[in-house]
Amino acid sequence: MKKTPRIAAPRASRYLASGPLVWVATMTCTTLLLLALKQALWLVVPFLLAIILYYALFPTVRYVALKGVDRETAAAIVSGLSLLLVSLALVPTLPWLAAQAVSGQEALFRYLAGGRLLVERSLLMLESQFGFLKDLDFHAEMSRRMQDFGGSYVKEHLADVLLATAAWLPAMLLAPFLAFFFLRDGRRFLKYLAEAVPNAYFERTLYMIDRVDATARAYFQGLLKLTMIDTFCLALGLAAIGMPSAFALGLMAAVLAWVPFVGSVIGCVIVVLVAATDFPESPWVVYAAIGLFLFVRLLDDFVFMPLTVGRSLHMHPLPTVLLIFLGGAVAGIPGLILVLPLAGVVMVVAGTIGGIVNDPRLGARHTFAKKLRGQRITADLQP
Amino acid sequence: MLSFFQGRNETPRLGTLRQLALFSTLSRLEIRVVDALLHERRYLKGEIIFDEGEEGQALHVVIAGKVVICRQGDPVGGRVAEIDAGVAFGELALLENAPRALQARADEDCVLASLSRGDLESLLVTHAVIASKILLQLARQLGRQLRDRSAAAEPRPL
Repeated sequence: MKKTPRIAAPRASRYLASGPLVWVATMTCTTLLLLALKQALWLVVPFLLAIILYYALFPTVRYVALKGVDRETAAAIVSGLSLLLVSLALVPTLPWLAAQAVSGQEALFRYLAGGRLLVERSLLMLESQFGFLKDLDFHAEMSRRMQDFGGSYVKEHLADVLLATAAWLPAMLLAPFLAFFFLRDGRRFLKYLAEAVPNAYFERTLYMIDRVDATARAYFQGLLKLTMIDTFCLALGLAAIGMPSAFALGLMAAVLAWVPFVGSVIGCVIVVLVAATDFPESPWVVYAAIGLFLFVRLLDDFVFMPLTVGRSLHMHPLPTVLLIFLGGAVAGIPGLILVLPLAGVVMVVAGTIGGIVNDPRLGARHTFAKKLRGQRITADLQP
Repeated sequence: MLSFFQGRNETPRLGTLRQLALFSTLSRLEIRVVDALLHERRYLKGEIIFDEGEEGQALHVVIAGKVVICRQGDPVGGRVAEIDAGVAFGELALLENAPRALQARADEDCVLASLSRGDLESLLVTHAVIASKILLQLARQLGRQLRDRSAAAEPRPL
């Protein structure tokens, strides 16, 4: 993906106000938006997927538009072809997916049993190493709790989870539909937005729209790049230690990592369960998988993330962590995924509005323009 | 094959844009791409378009009317240039990333087409040919202005 060149060196930032007030406004607005979004979660999740799809397809639409095709047609061609490709890719996997759906519950319990066996073995090993654990009867207690979890809790809630997933499916079909309209009419919408602004604030609005778009684009395209890198690293590592379906597992873990903190842990747990079930006699495969996840996590945090997603938001790590906790507390898992891009966009909008409020000249120009218009309207109404 | 999808209608607005010096070298298809990026703004006589010292986020082309470039708050005595229809202004702040050097006011009721910095930047990536044609026209305009001012400043021998 080509990097957008700058017409001139560093981007002006005087338009963006900063300071404690802007930060408080950013945090408050982000929290309020998350609370509002929580009420319409059925729309937020497909909306989020649509944004990711939009930024994934946007470079191709741009390329087709470069060939002289108008934007609407380019969006239709790219969306149609993508849908066709996905359908073609799904057709051969349908029998496999159907088989998995039928044996899904059985597979789930098999992997849970594999995981339980691994934990039990590890606990027994720990008990043999540390006497106080044996005195506490740690292994027996943990086994009983895991038995309860696997035996009753999962069985009780599995149906609810499956029903909830089925209820979400129609909403998910909104995602490609929304993405198509973002691709087709996104620019027109931004143009209408700019047209609605009075002349005095026009250039500030252009700046804000440009920064909001750049922030969201950098974040989501960075996220997609990070997913590709993670998939590649994990698939390579898992294949090297002999895990089956290394690519599928790597991709699943990389997509789960979209949820900060929790996602990576869930991805790792899934891979560990698969390793423990498929290689019950080779615990080193499990340890190697855990080691691989830790290694990729470190690479993510210190190398890949600063190069991809980290460049988009320009936030200090401390407020970033605070925001992630805030997002999780206010809106759960969607909140965890949404909070950073949302805060990035809110920060630009709050900064721009702060800049406008702090510039009395803009207000004076707007008043002057209104006065001119008033004079023009009433010119022939003077006594 | 893609040419099948290319629109063939030339709207009056596209014809108007084509007559502007900045876009005069663009083809019909290229004009359509640029048209999608332009924001049309209307200003009344006397209204301020931008102030001296502001950060420039757009270059403007006069579609109709006249704009005066002057020293801040002195549109009569501090008049530096008059911009007629078809000519672009405000490009220096964009190219240099410097604050606006002078104030721009509508000298008559006018209609402007504005191209934002972000859109000009993205044109460089997505439509390098269009961007280079626009920038070449800008360079020509700047050269012309420089020549005119040099000629006005230096007394010619009789």
